[in-house]
Amino acid sequence: MMDVGRHPRIKLLAYSEVEEVSGYVGNFKVKVRKKARYVDEEECTACGDCVEVCPVIRPDEYQMGLSSRRAIYIPFPQGVPSSYIINIEECLGVQPIACGKCAEKCDKGCIDFDMKDQIVELEVGTIIVAVGMEVYDPTPLDEYGYTRFENVITTLEFERLIDSGGPLEGHFARPTDGKMLKRIGFIQCVGSRAERRGNPYCSNICCMNTVKDSLLLRDHYPEIDITVFYLDMRAFGKGFEDLYKRSKDAGVRYVRGLPGEVKEDPQTRNLLVTVENTTACRLEEHELDMLVLSVGLEPREDSKTIQQLLSLSRTTDGFFLESHPKLKPVDTSTRGVFLAGCAEGPKDIKESVTQASAAAARAQIILNQDKIPIEAITPIIDYDLCNFCGRCARVCPYGAIVDVDPKRKVPPRVIEAACAGCGTCSAECPVGAITQRHFGDEQIFAQLEAMLGERPEEKIVVFACHWCSYAGGDMAGVSRLQYPPSARVIRTMCSGRTGERFILRAFTLGAPIVLVSGCHFADCHYINANRWTQRRVERLWDRLERASIRPERLQLEWISAAEGQKFARTMRELEEMRKKVTPEEIEYTKQVLAEKV
Amino acid sequence: MAEEAKFRCLRCGHEFIAPYDKDNPQERSCPKCKSNSVRRARER
Ligand SMILES: Cc1cc2nc3c(=O)[nH]c(=O)nc-3n(C[C@H](O)[C@H](O)[C@H](O)COP(=O)(O)OP(=O)(O)OC[C@H]3O[C@@H](n4cnc5c(N)ncnc54)[C@H](O)[C@@H]3O)c2cc1C
Ligand code: SF4
Ligand code: SF4
Ligand code: SF4
Ligand SMILES: [Zn+2]
Repeated sequence: MMDVGRHPRIKLLAYSEVEEVSGYVGNFKVKVRKKARYVDEEECTACGDCVEVCPVIRPDEYQMGLSSRRAIYIPFPQGVPSSYIINIEECLGVQPIACGKCAEKCDKGCIDFDMKDQIVELEVGTIIVAVGMEVYDPTPLDEYGYTRFENVITTLEFERLIDSGGPLEGHFARPTDGKMLKRIGFIQCVGSRAERRGNPYCSNICCMNTVKDSLLLRDHYPEIDITVFYLDMRAFGKGFEDLYKRSKDAGVRYVRGLPGEVKEDPQTRNLLVTVENTTACRLEEHELDMLVLSVGLEPREDSKTIQQLLSLSRTTDGFFLESHPKLKPVDTSTRGVFLAGCAEGPKDIKESVTQASAAAARAQIILNQDKIPIEAITPIIDYDLCNFCGRCARVCPYGAIVDVDPKRKVPPRVIEAACAGCGTCSAECPVGAITQRHFGDEQIFAQLEAMLGERPEEKIVVFACHWCSYAGGDMAGVSRLQYPPSARVIRTMCSGRTGERFILRAFTLGAPIVLVSGCHFADCHYINANRWTQRRVERLWDRLERASIRPERLQLEWISAAEGQKFARTMRELEEMRKKVTPEEIEYTKQVLAEKV
Repeated sequence: MAEEAKFRCLRCGHEFIAPYDKDNPQERSCPKCKSNSVRRARER
């Protein structure tokens, strides 16, 4: 932290918030609100004279409310810059009862009650999102008694209690009586791996954190009896199994089973934990002096704001989605924006640092170039056909189409560096004025004509997106899954590219069944382009029905790269549907659509 | 309470009621056959 603060080429804006981001890779403009600290951070030497005279006492958030702080304080000891800050909501200096004691006390005159927030505007080439995570609040899991029993604490509170810089200055004791304890328990997976209450995923760090805490306790307080209640211990990282073994060898007791209930003895304030030991197949009761809830990690509450600021995608868990899990694990759907640490998913410090190094290196590649190459899959606008309606700009997930104004008849302009090549604009243009490089209308039509040239009634036309459904088809192939040979696949980068024109052309060429497939909503590699796909298919179902064509003949499926089984099953089901489409139906469709298209 | 609508699966024909928000498209799947070819059934 200190190194970052001192580095000549790193500008640290602490106590600041990004309010606006515009532009695109290489040319981002970022508006940051640098909040008023009411203390001159350059001049303040953190002598602490001011703190002694401040009359306001509040719970110290960093110490999890286990000790107190004043209205003028340093948020946490290692904070950079090492300078004081005033919580102006709590301060009496500017209230009707003017206090101003800290200002009087500070010889250097660092305190300025009139300080205002500053707006800082930055021009940057790349952005790394490293906003981290939050910790699960175990209040809803009432059976553990977190809000009812003072001796039930979270791992975060435990960290503060045992820390030499913590409220007890490292003299570990239990909260109710300040006495040394004899028996401590840890409950794992609190708020993790739970479908109904908490989060469905594994939080990744809590098993090893408990193993570490158990060894720490063993070292400092060998007399304490330690029990860990777990579902299964996950010690997957380098050297982790060894640590786990050391913990067991040191006498830490691991009980497989999560407690069903925790009660408190009102006299002793001891905790009575009932658990089904699933290894020994018996119900056990444990009396403990303190219980630590190994709480999981969650996405930050303000993730949606950051998602919108930077046009990012998130997974169903709420963490930010990487561009590709294997090949671009720190890139995002927006070019020039990278991810590091728990913002992308729960992970430990080593993995966070590894990812941060990778993100910095990826950003550096862009920053070292005067010009950046882009993939030749951007749109081409035919200005003779364009009627300035602006639909392309409205549907573009990246805001890559600008200037267009229907009232003043200003045509659209594509910022190619910002375009990700989803093709949604091309698919949605009502007059066919946009096409996409390498996925041009004529190229797709040629593929359709080739595949439906002979015996079209035996074929199923499948539009598949590059990232998910096409890869799902590949997965079915490499897994040697059997599916009928009737499927003919056309790959586009995103299902967003599958325009009405392609689907209708397939039907006019005699296709009995057409499938549009793409990524699941949460996995869309183009933020939300597949929502437009769904809307378009829904529109077409109505349109087909109005033309007395069975809408069932147009099918929609979201298939991930891992869902080879789903791909194969879908193809088998569609083959059954194909067999039921009559030659008369196909002929009628061709005629009706030929008149309309 | 969220608005609800009737949906029909275009794979297996199953009909069901589910929450519906016109401005916020959801990924839908048929509770019976799991297909995503789920269409809102319009009252005629
Ligand atoms: C109880 C507990 C114990 C743990 N023990 C271990 C351990 O022993 N070993 C280990 O390897 N890992 C441990 N971890 C995991 C470790 O904390 C994470 O791996 C690490 O903190 C991830 O780093 P990060 O930079 O991604 O996120 P964070 O550490 O969360 O840092 C993110 C930072 O971004 C700031 N921020 C957030 N939003 C914004 C915004 N909009 N604008 C500006 N700034 C913002 C936050 O204030 C924060 O300072 C533990 C975690 C917990 C909860
Ligand atoms: S890391 Fe361990 S304690 Fe944490 S959620 Fe996963 S299995 Fe549970
Ligand atoms: S959608 Fe088509 S017609 Fe409308 S502004 Fe864009 S290019 Fe022009
Ligand atoms: S191809 Fe996609 S990202 Fe590019 S301009 Fe069109 S809608 Fe936007
Ligand atoms: Zn169904």
